[in-house]
Amino acid sequence: MVVALILTWQAQAQDTKAQYPKMAPLDQYLMERNAEIALARSAGPKSISRDADILVLGPHGYETAMKGQNGFVCMVQRSWAAPFDDPEFWNPKAVAPICFNPAGARSYLRLLIKQTDLVLAGRSKAQVAETMSAAVRKKELPGMEPGAMGYMLSKQTYNDRDGHWHPHLMFFAPLTDPIAWGASRGSPILGFKDDPNRLTVFLIPVRNWSDGTADLDGN
Amino acid sequence: MNRKTLVTIAFGSFALVVALALTWQAQAQDSKTPYPSMAPLDQYLMDRNAEITMARSAAPESISRDAEVMVLGPHGYETAVKGKNGFVCVVERAWTSPIDSPEFWNPKGRAPVCYNAPAARFKVSLLIKTTELVLAGRTKTQIFDALTASIDKKELPALEVSAMCYMMSKQAYLSDGDPHWHPHLMFIVPLTEAASWGAGSPGSPVINAFVNTPERHTVFLVPVGNWSDGTPYVAGN
Repeated sequence: MVVALILTWQAQAQDTKAQYPKMAPLDQYLMERNAEIALARSAGPKSISRDADILVLGPHGYETAMKGQNGFVCMVQRSWAAPFDDPEFWNPKAVAPICFNPAGARSYLRLLIKQTDLVLAGRSKAQVAETMSAAVRKKELPGMEPGAMGYMLSKQTYNDRDGHWHPHLMFFAPLTDPIAWGASRGSPILGFKDDPNRLTVFLIPVRNWSDGTADLDGN
Repeated sequence: MNRKTLVTIAFGSFALVVALALTWQAQAQDSKTPYPSMAPLDQYLMDRNAEITMARSAAPESISRDAEVMVLGPHGYETAVKGKNGFVCVVERAWTSPIDSPEFWNPKGRAPVCYNAPAARFKVSLLIKTTELVLAGRTKTQIFDALTASIDKKELPALEVSAMCYMMSKQAYLSDGDPHWHPHLMFIVPLTEAASWGAGSPGSPVINAFVNTPERHTVFLVPVGNWSDGTPYVAGN
């Protein structure tokens, strides 16, 4: 499945790029607050997300909607959390709920919030990438902490290319070649480098969605 | 250093899964007597080529074909095949289990594992040292005392960031009660609470296998869907 998704990516990229050439009007990315809270929580098993901080996206950036007590932070990522070369970078329909563990919240989430602020300030994709890169280089943003990770087990995750894809865990490491974790064909680990942010993201599909049902076909 | 610390130092790929088996407690009583001491050495040894194949079965071929492969000989682990991708594949024996594991001396135990480079520098050094002590005829207590001293004196490399490994072999024999368990990945991190990864929370795919003592580290397991040969894991097979 994963291989198939990767193989079809190239073909779809061209069509999709033309479809989302720039940011859509902001309101297309915003959601009803309670729906967004529920969607954010769906990223992790209830045992984790019920005690997590919940962030929601407002016109001026992410804000805390619910205070938690276990150090996890759940939120709904929008399309601009994708790699800068992703053709769906501006897809207003894309939603990617995630629950960060405390180390992920202290490191990767900080970058995501900064990136969102730049997007909402009307910066172009190139400007966002350049600003993020400079901020990371000057250590205005934190590096990835050991053990920084997140849960993405929501059935409601969506983008045009992958649909709901698979429930998976995300790991955020300092910039390294993905092969250092064995991310390659046949491996249960996928990895990609995020050069502007000086980090490498690893994805590990797991068997069940957050509601406990099995991932039968991935979509 | 107390016994609990000693136990945790020599954890191995074995121990993690043995400890995890849901039926472990029930089986422990039955298994306590079968392996009271080390069996004759030849029961732990394998045909060299079979051991190389089994070691490689820990990970997908894309990883294991370029990995260094180590095998157990009468005098310890030795490199059988040189690698070029930084991974080290090896078949661990049951003496990487905790000292109180009833299967510590189980000669049937085989735990194929492929460590990435950061994990290999720590874990393979520990495995080599542990096995030397075993083959020198030391008792469990002597082994763990010696390992504790080595770690305290920093004679073994420190744990590195991003240490992880693959355990996806269908041929694994991890315990009498649940020989193959699940194909899985293991992450070895500086000491942290299980809750910091959400491990063990109902519905979480992350399992906290082992929390070492304050000076040591924590291991998390993530079961994956397929064995290293690409076939899916099916419960009960």
